[in-house]
Amino acid sequence: MTEYSRMAKGKFTSTGGAQIINLPFQPDYVEFTNYTASAAFTDHRVLSAQWDVNMGQGFAITQVKNTTYQTDSVILNGVSTFSAGLLLQFGARQQVVSSTKADPASFEVTGHGFTSGDVVMFQGLYSTQFTAGMPQMDGIPFTVTVTDANNFTVPWNSNQSNYTALAASPSGAFVKKVLYPYLYAPGVSFISAITTGTTTTIDTTDAHNYVVGQEIAIRMPDVVGNTPVAAWGDARYNSLPNNSTPGSPVYAYVIAVTDYNTFVCNINSTGYAAYNSNIAVANVPGLSYPQVVAVGDVNTGGVQLSSGSALYPPPYVSPIGTTRVNSINGPAIQGAYFNNTSQGFIIGAGLNVTDTAAVLVGANGNVIYWRAFLHDMSLPS
Amino acid sequence: MRQAEDLILRDYVVSAASQINAGGGSNGDNPTNLGLTDFSLVATTLDTNNAYKFMSGIEGMDKFGTGPVRSAYFMLSSTELQSDFDALGSNGSISFLSQWQYPTNASALPSEYGSVANTRILTSSEAPVARGASDLGSDVYYNTVLGKQAITHINQDGFSMNLIYRDPYYSGMLAQNATLAVKFAQAQAITQDTAIRNLLSTRNSSLGV
Repeated sequence: MTEYSRMAKGKFTSTGGAQIINLPFQPDYVEFTNYTASAAFTDHRVLSAQWDVNMGQGFAITQVKNTTYQTDSVILNGVSTFSAGLLLQFGARQQVVSSTKADPASFEVTGHGFTSGDVVMFQGLYSTQFTAGMPQMDGIPFTVTVTDANNFTVPWNSNQSNYTALAASPSGAFVKKVLYPYLYAPGVSFISAITTGTTTTIDTTDAHNYVVGQEIAIRMPDVVGNTPVAAWGDARYNSLPNNSTPGSPVYAYVIAVTDYNTFVCNINSTGYAAYNSNIAVANVPGLSYPQVVAVGDVNTGGVQLSSGSALYPPPYVSPIGTTRVNSINGPAIQGAYFNNTSQGFIIGAGLNVTDTAAVLVGANGNVIYWRAFLHDMSLPS
Repeated sequence: MRQAEDLILRDYVVSAASQINAGGGSNGDNPTNLGLTDFSLVATTLDTNNAYKFMSGIEGMDKFGTGPVRSAYFMLSSTELQSDFDALGSNGSISFLSQWQYPTNASALPSEYGSVANTRILTSSEAPVARGASDLGSDVYYNTVLGKQAITHINQDGFSMNLIYRDPYYSGMLAQNATLAVKFAQAQAITQDTAIRNLLSTRNSSLGV
């Protein structure tokens, strides 16, 4: 009765943080052994663990060295499966408690559970419904930088006259996590700031995933109801219409990548109007946002796997800082669009219930051997 | 069988194409529900960008209840917006024209719901929807408006799609289960980024669900 079951095994070296294992299936049973911890047999280490889908997502049964060898369990951030195949999936809504006017904008959400690099989306950021608050930040993706368990920042300047601080858990003010933000990369990104000059530095609200050599185009929409209409920024950033050469798109190239949400392009914006995200709350209904998109089918951002190699490394996304997370794809030209869909399981960094010093995924440098199964027959109890 | 291909292409377009938020509706959300001016705006944008229209116009005929149809881009929308389209009304020379009000249905596609100005609307239950993602927490619909040269779909390795069926005798030693699968190799590309826009909208709240 196992002709359609699937099995996989492998090993990884723990970083101390949650470990994502990509597989061609979602397992219903996972087990693993921490070889390093087992060999050293030191206290407060998970030596081995098991997870069955019927336990629920985020659980695990563990065998721990806690002065003595004993069994334990993990009930939060344990083992879970994932299927990152479809866009526009969100986590649960969480109430926004407060937000101070700042650059970057700061939010308080009790027990948010985010980690830096997660992408979130806001809704209903009104201190007074429809007249005041920060609704200019609603409906677009933001990368989170975690301050503590209840606070985080996002890359947007809310310390402006048309923004009002939020307090006392405003009704309808929520944040939710975008579960799979980079399934296709590089994607469309929203602009949070522009520094003009002989070259132009652009900040985005979440990871742009560009590489040096990337060809880009900018969309600088009008703000309806404002005079002059191009309130977000100078209309000359727009790829079309090109006022100098009608019908010829204005494209630019990325010449430097500072970090996950900042890059420099070769647009000479000297004398351009300053970027302005100080949009009036009254203009929020129907407000379109400035964007930057990757264009072209030839990008010069290829970086060889090694000097003289004909191969390129797998394409990657950069969710936070300068961290690079490789996709499951084979060698590819950097900067070309790629598909980042995946499925598999995650071994979380949850703590054991009894031995609260023992982390499921082990300590940094621990070598872990895992096996995953998808059974074609699973009987109910 | 083509659903998997469609979903991949759909998500790719959502990820990679730029967006315009609808502002012509009256529900006070961001984006608003679709208004007639949104159709004009997106068609004007594509026209200015020299996008090619998919369909030539349909000349008016002497038939009761019909009207001429402009040359048009395609807009791919959710079936959940069909009642919104019906309620669009008219504004000057612009109005929603149901597919069954075309002078002739010879060029209409099976999924075609109607047309507004220079867009002809195709609806599908698989169109992208971001649930609860608007300013006020309503569902946001991605209405993809595209010119002819905007995107391409490349079948790789010399084949489009294989439908694989193995009857039980060939699928296992005990001949208990059959195998049914689809295999394809494809790539997508936006060939002209200026000829495609995702027109984001919410629903007209007065229409109910």
